[in-house]
Amino acid sequence: MAVKIDADLCGHIQDCPVQGLCIKLCEQGAIIEEDGDVKIVPENCDDCDLCIQNCPNQAISKA
Amino acid sequence: MFNIERKGEEDRKLSYNDVNCVGCGICTDVCPTSSLRLGPLVPIARGLIEMDLISVNADSCVFCGLCSIACPFESLSLEINGENIKESGNYPVWEVESKVDDEECIYCGRCYSVCPRDSIIFERNLPDSVSLIRGEISIDEEKCIYCSFCVDLCPAEAIIISNKPTSSVDLLNNSIEVDLSKCVQCGVCKRVCPENAIRQICSTCMLKEEIPKPEITGNTFIAEDSCVNCSWCSQICPVDAISVTKPFDGKLELVENETEDKICKGESCHACQDVCPCNAVTIIDGKSVTNLDFCNLCGACVTACPQDLRVLTRTGMKLENINSESWREILSTLIDGK
Repeated sequence: MAVKIDADLCGHIQDCPVQGLCIKLCEQGAIIEEDGDVKIVPENCDDCDLCIQNCPNQAISKA
Repeated sequence: MFNIERKGEEDRKLSYNDVNCVGCGICTDVCPTSSLRLGPLVPIARGLIEMDLISVNADSCVFCGLCSIACPFESLSLEINGENIKESGNYPVWEVESKVDDEECIYCGRCYSVCPRDSIIFERNLPDSVSLIRGEISIDEEKCIYCSFCVDLCPAEAIIISNKPTSSVDLLNNSIEVDLSKCVQCGVCKRVCPENAIRQICSTCMLKEEIPKPEITGNTFIAEDSCVNCSWCSQICPVDAISVTKPFDGKLELVENETEDKICKGESCHACQDVCPCNAVTIIDGKSVTNLDFCNLCGACVTACPQDLRVLTRTGMKLENINSESWREILSTLIDGK
């Protein structure tokens, strides 16, 4: 099922209060940094929802 | 850490000590003006964000002190005219305690090594090992060839040899000594010596009646302010020397719902394990397992679980001396479930 990121709300690492908190929280490698932005790797996601719960901008939701 | 103050007929000061805070959110649950906010538990617990677990809106806080009374972890305190309300006798107090019985404690230090909060101060005085041993050892320097077999094999590192000539005119600069403060009369040196230069007799068994049983003294002390009353110390104590009264009675369950895809993701999430101040959570076979023996039912994991799978049921609490009906009403919500 994975997750999706609302590009308008997302801080795109640079403007994120924690510079990509979701990337740091996800231990499955389902959210990674690519070209200075956040990228979702759906096949790695196991729907733990940790990123959804903790995104400081509430930019992440179920896909 | 914060300190906020209101001056008036009474001076009221609310202080927050972040060191003792476990992020349980009990204070935010009871605050009548919603002035306290719980920060992002998991990122803070993992060290990804450096901030206090609790923040306060000083403009809306009414300095009632309910949060400081409800906090079971000595993290919040309200002072009225310089006096902590918990010490005034008029306010509710937590009758919780973790205490070591000095008469029973044998100073093994197991509690000290398992305490998840480093709240135990532990020291002990052991006797010199040689005071428990009797024997004699001597080395015949005439026979010794300074091969160092004994030095390398001595388990107590008690033999010191100098066998390096300092110059070409001093080929005999040798010496061998036994440090009697370390030697335990085991006899390994004697058995390995190729020249039979070591004379050693152990008389410990023969003289065992005259060797007094040593009295081991020490000090095991639980620091009240940082202790979270988890029971690790009392559970691990081999002589039942520690008693713990926890703040709550009740249970904590993991309730999954497969049809709604609410399933514990164990290893990939482990938010509960990271925030638990009691070290009571383990991930076993991909699922979170809480050992209620060590859980203090604080509820931090309930807030941290992104799947909302944890159901905390508190059936009783050790908050005594609640004299006000309105406070009783609010504080009783802590046992009505979270």
